[in-house]
Amino acid sequence: MTTESAQERDELAGEYVLGTLSAQQRIEVQKRLPNEPDLRAAVDAWERRLLELTDYAEAQQPSALLWPRIERSVERLTHNTPITSWWNLLPLWRGLSAAGLAATLVLGAILLTQTPPKPNYLVVLVAPQDKAPGWVIQASNPREIQLIPLGVVEVPADKALEFWTKADSWQGPVSLGLVKPGQTLSVPLDKLPPLQPNQLFELTLEGANGSPIGKPTGPIQAIGRAVKVL
Amino acid sequence: MSSPEPLFDYEARLAACARGEQSALRDLYVQEGPRLLGVARRLVRDTALAEDIVHEAFIKIWNGAAQFDPARGSARGWMFSVTRHLALNLLRNQARETPFSEDHEMPANEDDGFDAQAHSGRIHRCLEQLDPQRRSCILHAYVDGYSHAQISQRLGTPLGTVKAWIKRSLNALRECMG
Repeated sequence: MTTESAQERDELAGEYVLGTLSAQQRIEVQKRLPNEPDLRAAVDAWERRLLELTDYAEAQQPSALLWPRIERSVERLTHNTPITSWWNLLPLWRGLSAAGLAATLVLGAILLTQTPPKPNYLVVLVAPQDKAPGWVIQASNPREIQLIPLGVVEVPADKALEFWTKADSWQGPVSLGLVKPGQTLSVPLDKLPPLQPNQLFELTLEGANGSPIGKPTGPIQAIGRAVKVL
Repeated sequence: MSSPEPLFDYEARLAACARGEQSALRDLYVQEGPRLLGVARRLVRDTALAEDIVHEAFIKIWNGAAQFDPARGSARGWMFSVTRHLALNLLRNQARETPFSEDHEMPANEDDGFDAQAHSGRIHRCLEQLDPQRRSCILHAYVDGYSHAQISQRLGTPLGTVKAWIKRSLNALRECMG
């Protein structure tokens, strides 16, 4: 190592970045990098020179599970646990099933007071923390749903509630649009497959124009799954 | 087109990661996840393995954000470097130095679909100045993660020749690019 010329060092750095060094050589370079600024600078220069060659690899959409997995790992590292990867979150669903009684009572009340056209599907959306029912979704036909508020929630002026759904077989949630607090909302579902039992619905708090990335990013305000009414 | 979004501020997102803002890491993932996965997938030739690598890369990005030094290169470039080296470590440690098996999938034509003219950056103009076989060596190494021995087998060229070609091609690229 002591007799290494600048030329040799640069060639080593080039082949390290190119990828042609053996496992043993790679380990040696990686051990030296933190302590040898000259080698570090040579590697950095090669990283910059060759970076654009990454264009040759065709981009590939990650599976829907990859981000939640990264997020869980990062949360484990940072010791806090905000609930964001909700559609895979077992404890949340355990908690929600405990909210079944409240849901039954609300459904019963609605069925009694409204004497329908009988809905085929019903969903009660409850707050994830205290399981308080906040909205009910009913679908008298599988092509349109109504989102009915059970009270008025406060939404900050620069925020909006966004309505999402995801069936078990879908890759990720789909937005059904923004929701005004306290108002009943009718949503045609003609862009989506027919409603399914167990289909997930939720409301998240997003920026005033909704999520910028087409996927929920803000905290969940209410969440529930579709139940088929016999 | 796979050129980076010019308005996306990678450095600011990385600084936010260093402050513990997970939404910034998510922004970086949304922005570059598919391209990073594509790079890893091409190297390790297995989607599940490539997702493991991208998972590990984002943990390294999160943990390393505070130490990132913009003087050493772009934040975007660093994300690709982290991902590539994880994949290359895996490839080399797996002792994939064995010759290609019969069923190894390889592009059919000699130029292997590396179309330098489809890309605009300086590296591509410099690559075009190389002899086609030497250009193939560089691209097979960087993009496909092939070892010297694998390139030798792939091109039907003696191992010593491949090693010399790569050394000279790197020198030529450094001269061309500065």
